[in-house]
Amino acid sequence: MDSQAKFDESHLRDLLPLYYKRLFPAAHFYKWLSYGNASTFAHREISFALENDIYLRFQSFDTYKEFVEELYKKNPIKIDIGPIYLTKPKARNMGQALQASAKEMVFDIDLTDYDDVRTCCSGADVCTKCWKFMAIASKIIDTALREDFRYVNVLWVFSGRRGIHAWVSDEHARGLDINGRPAIAEYLTVLKEGMKKKKVSLTGHIHTSISRALKIIDKYFPTIVKEQDILGTDERLKNFLSILDDNVRTQFKDCMTKVTTSAERWEAFERKFMQLQQTNEIPRNLKNLREEIKLQYAYPRLDINVTKGITHLLKAPFCVHPKTGKVCVPFNVKHVDNFDPNNVPTISMIINEVDAYDKKTKEQEETLMETDEPSVTNQVKIKDYKKTSLLRPINLFSEFLKNLEKDTKKRVDPF
Amino acid sequence: MDTNARRRRVHTTVEDTEATLYNHDLSLYPKFPCSEIPLSEFEELAIDRVQLFRIIEQASLKGHKYFSDEWKKCIKDDMMKNNLKKFVRLLSGFNGQTELDIQARRADHISHFILRIAYCRSEELRKWFLARELEWFKIKFVSNSTPSILKFLQLNELNYQTISNEEKEDLKESLIVCTPGMNDVQVMMSEFYKVPFLDVWTLVQKRRVFLKEGYAYIPINDLVVSIQSTFRTTLSSKLVLMNRNLPNLDDERLSNLLCNLHQAYTGNEYTVSNDKDAINPADIDEYSKKHYPLCMRNLHETLRANHHLKHYGRLIYGLFLKAIGLKYEQFIEFWRSEFTKTMDTDAFNKNHLYNFNHQFGKVGKRVNYSPYSCMKIIMSNVGAGDAHCCPFRHFDVGRLRAKISECGAPSEGVSEIMQLVNNGHYQIACTKYFQYTHPQPSSNTINHPNQYFEESMNLVKDKTEKIVS
Repeated sequence: MDSQAKFDESHLRDLLPLYYKRLFPAAHFYKWLSYGNASTFAHREISFALENDIYLRFQSFDTYKEFVEELYKKNPIKIDIGPIYLTKPKARNMGQALQASAKEMVFDIDLTDYDDVRTCCSGADVCTKCWKFMAIASKIIDTALREDFRYVNVLWVFSGRRGIHAWVSDEHARGLDINGRPAIAEYLTVLKEGMKKKKVSLTGHIHTSISRALKIIDKYFPTIVKEQDILGTDERLKNFLSILDDNVRTQFKDCMTKVTTSAERWEAFERKFMQLQQTNEIPRNLKNLREEIKLQYAYPRLDINVTKGITHLLKAPFCVHPKTGKVCVPFNVKHVDNFDPNNVPTISMIINEVDAYDKKTKEQEETLMETDEPSVTNQVKIKDYKKTSLLRPINLFSEFLKNLEKDTKKRVDPF
Repeated sequence: MDTNARRRRVHTTVEDTEATLYNHDLSLYPKFPCSEIPLSEFEELAIDRVQLFRIIEQASLKGHKYFSDEWKKCIKDDMMKNNLKKFVRLLSGFNGQTELDIQARRADHISHFILRIAYCRSEELRKWFLARELEWFKIKFVSNSTPSILKFLQLNELNYQTISNEEKEDLKESLIVCTPGMNDVQVMMSEFYKVPFLDVWTLVQKRRVFLKEGYAYIPINDLVVSIQSTFRTTLSSKLVLMNRNLPNLDDERLSNLLCNLHQAYTGNEYTVSNDKDAINPADIDEYSKKHYPLCMRNLHETLRANHHLKHYGRLIYGLFLKAIGLKYEQFIEFWRSEFTKTMDTDAFNKNHLYNFNHQFGKVGKRVNYSPYSCMKIIMSNVGAGDAHCCPFRHFDVGRLRAKISECGAPSEGVSEIMQLVNNGHYQIACTKYFQYTHPQPSSNTINHPNQYFEESMNLVKDKTEKIVS
């Protein structure tokens, strides 16, 4: 990252007005949330978080103009998107509950939920090693949404710090009812919550969605075993063994303690497992033990309540994370492996980029003027975001909008 | 079959069309009954159906696995015991056309509509009724043979598309691994139907169906899920509609029966605590040891240790406290004094006070929330760091074992309880735990933390009353 563009939290207040005025893709944003119908936007809850924990809930904006004017006036630290209500949220009657009618189905996956398996970072930190968990998660969820549910308009966004969001915007996803959302969320949840050490249990056949997920995990798993060093210390080995059932634990413990590195230990585990399987010493209910363990370490850990609830708010794309200064940029799942969360444009960086670009253009113009060429100034004014590293994420967003529009026009909907 | 029907007429009001109206054990009750019946029969039918539903509900509470053979047997036995023979007839699977069959279907039909009138009155009642109706439908459905199911589909104009043999051959592997309860041969033998996945969301939720591009592929046995889903949607909206029209429907000869039907024959909801003795906040620690069920004791102890609980912990424990008789001021003070051990009063007021006021129904929607039942707690999501849970369900085996012996269950009790836990009978395990930590067992299976508390308190009261007298 450019050293002069290092983000300083105290500058946020000065940078945000510039950001919203010159760089935030408000028009795209409006186009997205109106889905070709102005009243859809007008019924949407859009909340602002301001300084000093002031939170403006149940706002809604009748027009694009009203929205951007308010945005420029308030310069929110965070924008949250809520559901589309039957009545305009801002015009609600006190004491009368608002009734939500639609919302994108959203997914929220956060690396802090992996703290028991990631060892490279903890808490708010993130690096390319633990980002692999997010790569796996986005690939698994994205494929399932497309192949199993036929959702195609999925916008994946880096959440600005250590997680990712998905916005499933197909019409039949937005209209999902009180049963549909939890059903899909649970379908995509494999790790059981609770206090038990073993979080995954696969009995009988393995469902196609899980075997597909395992195929994705398998590509990363050897690297994770090494990079996260999941079996590299006695403590971690002990944790691993505690997942196993009492009746098979000692057998694995012996062979795994004999070797030292994480990779060797995993290999020892696999070898032992196959050996026991051949001699019929694996109880029937543990025949999928290897798969269960891989899933426990690497299957997506969804914040399921975010997906289940239609009224749940979620931070909007292109917000600036107040602590890191990083912009919540969309990313392409196909290229998620090349995404580096520490190389995401920050607000300071892109504002510098605009300045640098303008300065250069000005110099060029001046040179041109000096050489007495016919003036080329005031040609077409180039949009500010195109001068910055925000260009690609915004293009990705435009692409998403284009497909969405095509789909809205087709509107062949069996549901 | 008509000759049979004509020979024996039990009810004078029976119309000629009954044989055609009631020609199948399965019904989605599309039409209102249009005959006259005596008030006494009206009442009898109402009570019969409530009793039937109570039996179905109890079977799960008794710990039988949902729709297992023992669950079904338990229901049948209880129906026989409670003189509900006519409803048992609907489970025979023969789809007979004798007069007795027709009379049984008539009773099913009429009682369904009577309960609609009784149970449309509140969200809570509707939910309970709907759940039982769906279970009852499914019990009947699964008793039917394939031809009889096909006949039902045809009679009700339910057009489900089967998939072609070629398509089935293509999807064979996936269908085998994604359709539980069927082996390779059964999968190949059964017809499969293609339905929008939302029609069978309960199967999707449990990952018990093969999905492809928005469609679910289900065998004939799972068709019931899709039909239930249609049934649920229609019945649900009809109940809401009926509730709106109630003023035109109510009949004073019936209103007493209909309004009190549910309370009279089902358990307590533990919603309000107005008739209860107030409790002294200073006694809470003591109560937690002696009278709390394990789940609440765990919450209480976690709260005392960490001076904090996460959202659902606060909610579940808060509503429990409210229902055992903590008054509003004491309630707020209780949380404030604990939370402010790790935060200042301002932070508490800013971050938590609203939430507790809301719980007590003082702000926002001002709802008097009911405390969580066992079922709700057992089914709830428990994440890392959450203290709310059913210990019997969510604790690690070792931790649970240690906890119950620490709480005073003798060793033979511990192993008995652990056995129940192993088999997934969490509420029975809790009931046993009660028995082992009290001088006498609880009068019923524990299905609510507040029931546990009350039963436990009653034992003490009985004792003190005896001593006083």
